[in-house]
Amino acid sequence: MAAVISNSRLTVPSLEAPRLAHYLAVGLIAGAIIALQIAVMRVFAVGSWSHFGSLVVSLAMLGFSLSSVVIFAGKGWFDRHWQGAATAALLLIGPLAVGSNLVAQTVPFNAIFLVSDPAQKWRLLANFLLYLLPFLAGAFFLGIVFLKSRTAFGRVYFADLTGSGLAGLVVLVSLYLFAPETIIVVPLLLWAAGSLLWFLAFGAWKSVVAGVVVAALSISGYLMLPGLLGIPDIAVSQYKGVAYARNFPDGKRIYRSVSPFGDLQVYASSYMHFAPGLSDNAAFGMPEVPANTYVGMYRDGDGPEGIMRNLAPAEQVYFRYLPMHYPYVIKDKPKTFVVQFGGGISTQAALNAGSTSVTVAESNPMTLRAFRDPVLKDVTGDILAEPRLKVIDYDGRLFLANTTERYDVIDLSLADSVGLSNPGGFAISEKYAYTREAMLSYMHALADGGVLSITLWNKEEPPKSVLKLYSTVAEAATTFDPKGAANDIFAVSSYLSTTTVLFKRGGFTETEIKTLRDYTKSMSWEEVYYPGMTYDGSGAQKVLDDYRASIFGSGQDATLTQQPAADATAPANPTAPANPDCDPTAPADPTLDACAGAGGDAGPQVLPATEMQRMTWHALLTGGWGKLAGDYVFDTRALSNDQPYFAAYVKVADLPRTLDRLDLFQDDWGYLLIWATLGIACVTAASLVLLPVIFGWRIVFSRSRGKLGTILYFACLGLGYIMVEVGLISRFTVALANPTVSASVLISSMLVFSGLGSLFAERIFDRARTLLPLVLLAVCVLLLAYGFYLSPVLDRIGAYPYAVRLLLCFLLVSPPAFLMGMPMATAMTWLARLGKEHLFVWAWGINGCFSVIGSAAVPIVATSFGLSAVLQWAAIAYLIAIPAFFAVLLPSKAPAVRLVAA
Amino acid sequence: MKRRDFLTLSAGAAAFSILPATVRANVPVPYDRNAEVPFNDKKSFIDWMVANRGEDPKFLAQRFDRFQIMVYNKDVLDDRNKRAFLLTPREEFVLPQNLGRAYDHAFLDIGYGVTISGPHLVGRMTTSIDVQFGEAVLEIGTGSGYQSAYLANLTDKVHTIEIINPLAQRTRRTYDGLVERGYSEFGSVTSRNADGYYGWESVGPFDKIIVTCGIDHIPPSLLQQLKPNGVMVIPVGPPGAQHVLKVIKQQLADGTFNIVRSDIYNGKVVPFVPFTKLEGDQIVGTHNG
Repeated sequence: MAAVISNSRLTVPSLEAPRLAHYLAVGLIAGAIIALQIAVMRVFAVGSWSHFGSLVVSLAMLGFSLSSVVIFAGKGWFDRHWQGAATAALLLIGPLAVGSNLVAQTVPFNAIFLVSDPAQKWRLLANFLLYLLPFLAGAFFLGIVFLKSRTAFGRVYFADLTGSGLAGLVVLVSLYLFAPETIIVVPLLLWAAGSLLWFLAFGAWKSVVAGVVVAALSISGYLMLPGLLGIPDIAVSQYKGVAYARNFPDGKRIYRSVSPFGDLQVYASSYMHFAPGLSDNAAFGMPEVPANTYVGMYRDGDGPEGIMRNLAPAEQVYFRYLPMHYPYVIKDKPKTFVVQFGGGISTQAALNAGSTSVTVAESNPMTLRAFRDPVLKDVTGDILAEPRLKVIDYDGRLFLANTTERYDVIDLSLADSVGLSNPGGFAISEKYAYTREAMLSYMHALADGGVLSITLWNKEEPPKSVLKLYSTVAEAATTFDPKGAANDIFAVSSYLSTTTVLFKRGGFTETEIKTLRDYTKSMSWEEVYYPGMTYDGSGAQKVLDDYRASIFGSGQDATLTQQPAADATAPANPTAPANPDCDPTAPADPTLDACAGAGGDAGPQVLPATEMQRMTWHALLTGGWGKLAGDYVFDTRALSNDQPYFAAYVKVADLPRTLDRLDLFQDDWGYLLIWATLGIACVTAASLVLLPVIFGWRIVFSRSRGKLGTILYFACLGLGYIMVEVGLISRFTVALANPTVSASVLISSMLVFSGLGSLFAERIFDRARTLLPLVLLAVCVLLLAYGFYLSPVLDRIGAYPYAVRLLLCFLLVSPPAFLMGMPMATAMTWLARLGKEHLFVWAWGINGCFSVIGSAAVPIVATSFGLSAVLQWAAIAYLIAIPAFFAVLLPSKAPAVRLVAA
Repeated sequence: MKRRDFLTLSAGAAAFSILPATVRANVPVPYDRNAEVPFNDKKSFIDWMVANRGEDPKFLAQRFDRFQIMVYNKDVLDDRNKRAFLLTPREEFVLPQNLGRAYDHAFLDIGYGVTISGPHLVGRMTTSIDVQFGEAVLEIGTGSGYQSAYLANLTDKVHTIEIINPLAQRTRRTYDGLVERGYSEFGSVTSRNADGYYGWESVGPFDKIIVTCGIDHIPPSLLQQLKPNGVMVIPVGPPGAQHVLKVIKQQLADGTFNIVRSDIYNGKVVPFVPFTKLEGDQIVGTHNG
């Protein structure tokens, strides 16, 4: 290494006039870092849960701030030894990426024990520290390069952004070629190419040789070491759905495809059973479902979604016992639309119920490809070739919003949901199929008398998702039919199983209500709402209070809030065995009901969960919803395109109270984690920002004027830029139907156009005082406009073929992205011109810190205030940057001095 | 199974087989189903257990501490369940690395993506189905074996099914080892490696069924194998915040059946069990134990 460094040092003393090869190298290394980010996210998504990957990766980006602080503190040293330091950092990226990933597989943390097992949080920390290392090396390299190319900042920044952006596209394509267990090869290849180009640009031949050796060792080590050392490529949690399929004695993978849409695998096993929401009465009303009837589909190891084999006619009575059969009870020979194909069970139910035609939408091309594969064709009897079936290859919601076709039945059953609790919690993900706007599209696409049927899992106690669904459907129904909505709804649920809501265009008739009620009774499901249902709200407040106390009470409230079991006074069932522990005269027990323990007890008349659901519908359709929602323990706001989240149940005001009982919120950990990420990011970022203040304020900055303004300026840019980027990724999922694709396209488009913007900014450097404020103002106006008008535009784009969608989305981002590339380049160049070298280095770190804070803040702003608010907040950040920019332009009192103290 | 997986599992099994050596005790007095276990004070309990069951006083002390909290939280209500909890050596059913946390208010990993439920949940769920001596009980999802071991102190007809073969074998070995050491009550636990979805028709019907695996519907076979007015319980939800679904096969006057879903609290909204611990002689709440 010494030879390498000395050789390099002799060759080129400075980077003030970089050549094309330098720019290419910087672009490739920046691209490698972005690619590594996405790759690590994929490793987490497949091995454990993606939201933990987000946590680790977003915090790892603090490496940029950390490197900035170190370079700041040792600026003099880095100025002198920049080439050796850059070489070392560059050569370390690959080995550290490989080593960290390998070691991380030996310390997998188990999300489900995060609260109960003290060791797990240290394992999570170990994962974070491990994955921080390669990013830190990359950040050092880029930081040093920026330091040494101050006067050419705009161009180097262009290379950095464009390289990162194009790498996003490279990764997108690579996700078709590399499975998650080999995906890190992509950043390694980019890094290897970038390193070699870098050394070649300096003519440092020994370094080239060293680079080749290190790259070859890294890549071969990545691919071979796991096998040699007996360490898994990716340590897949035993609690992932697919791990169970692998544990079944006859579990066998029959299909796999890897793509940006995820790692889709299908397993066959006789041990798989799938009947989502099956009526309990099926046990006595239908023949046994034949064995070995299903295969399980897993996406990134989560699942299964059941794919049913083609049933014999005699066995098809099975469908009658599924809740998705509801609309067909009153609709004979309907023209049916299935919003999401998924595993195909709704489609089979629709065909089985005698639909004259079934139009089915599936926005994930990989699902359709799987069903067209000979293996799954064989399993399903080639369901896609069924003559009555028509397949739409994009989002059903968008199709219905743009079609003139009308349907008798529109079905949205258990889409995007595997039903079983996800032990790692659920990520904050957008569920655009369930929003108020989506519901309105479905309602408009119904023929007169047509029925919209929505089935959702009802596995939560206290109820959460189902109440959000109810309020969403009710909002849409009252918008669609302001006077008659109360006659348009029929809702049922099955305790800790499923709920189904029917909306009928034009309202239900008496006969239909009776038919549906009879069917409900025959299935032992609970009526939650039907037109004309009597409602007794006398116990409503108590249910609300009890639910709040059950979650946030001290545990002793049980005795205070307990009500006599509804059946406590009922005569004992004569067939029940005697219970010696039951003493009817004893004080009511706050927890278990010993008197009711033995068989024969039919339970209470109405369970609190059912009562809550009835209260909800009554309030939604007749008034009083605001108060009820306010008093309920969890958030029940309707889903909208602006806030399309089922997750985030915990009300913001209740967050501090969750800390001593996190185990109760395991299904909402995705949401709690983003708060944790934000908290950690803020604390760490504050430390990194303050360190230079503590150690260098007087010495370094005493001669630099406009310090606070400069800090504010770069903080605003960091926050604003990342909020637009992350906020738009969520938004563009509407049109692109997949978060990974959306992320790749958005990252590419934003960075490439911003790169061009930074290059173009050279032309305004000299007139920055007048032009840059205008640019910032334009960014602000554009972001506000996007916030208000993006939604309908994306809806239209979503109906085009996929390649066109990709192109349009790529271009749609370009105007703000182009302008957003200018402020950073302009201000950094001016800092360099004014000789504010320490501020130059520090600004880079501040920008990095606030990028991390911004990315953590986006999901919080989005869930609390909506995705439009994310863009509005970003717009405000750019607005604040206008006055702050003038502080950047303030000249130094005297030339900057070297940091003596450091 | 991949070779690497096989080696990993074998290593795990080998490691587990070492476990009993550290806590092994031979039962000095034959099991007496009617023996009265003192549960009013810790010392008497430990002395009695050491004399009659030959168990490690360290674990006995932890068991009694947990027991006191469970009584306080009403996780166990009646004497038979109290006795069953106190007589079941939970430490025999956890992984070696979790021995120190055997009696924590927590679910623990036992490998294969399976957990052993916290003692409070096992106590609550079993108390709620009120198992009488002689009743046939079926457990779907043997897992660690702890639940069935507890049940073996309540009835002599315990049947348990595990779907994951190596886990089923491991737990069977645990039972066999314990029986060999004198825990004759576990001899009444019959276990098999099979798909619990279809129940165990040849030994059914059952008075009570406990299902401890994730399902998206209640298997029809299990409802068929439940006796009239029989009770089934199924924990639903994430491990830390499970809610227990109670299903009753109600026989109507005309002989037909009606399936009634409820929870084990029969319509009461009950606070989640707080994390509680014993500090000296004081039980300290709430969740933040």
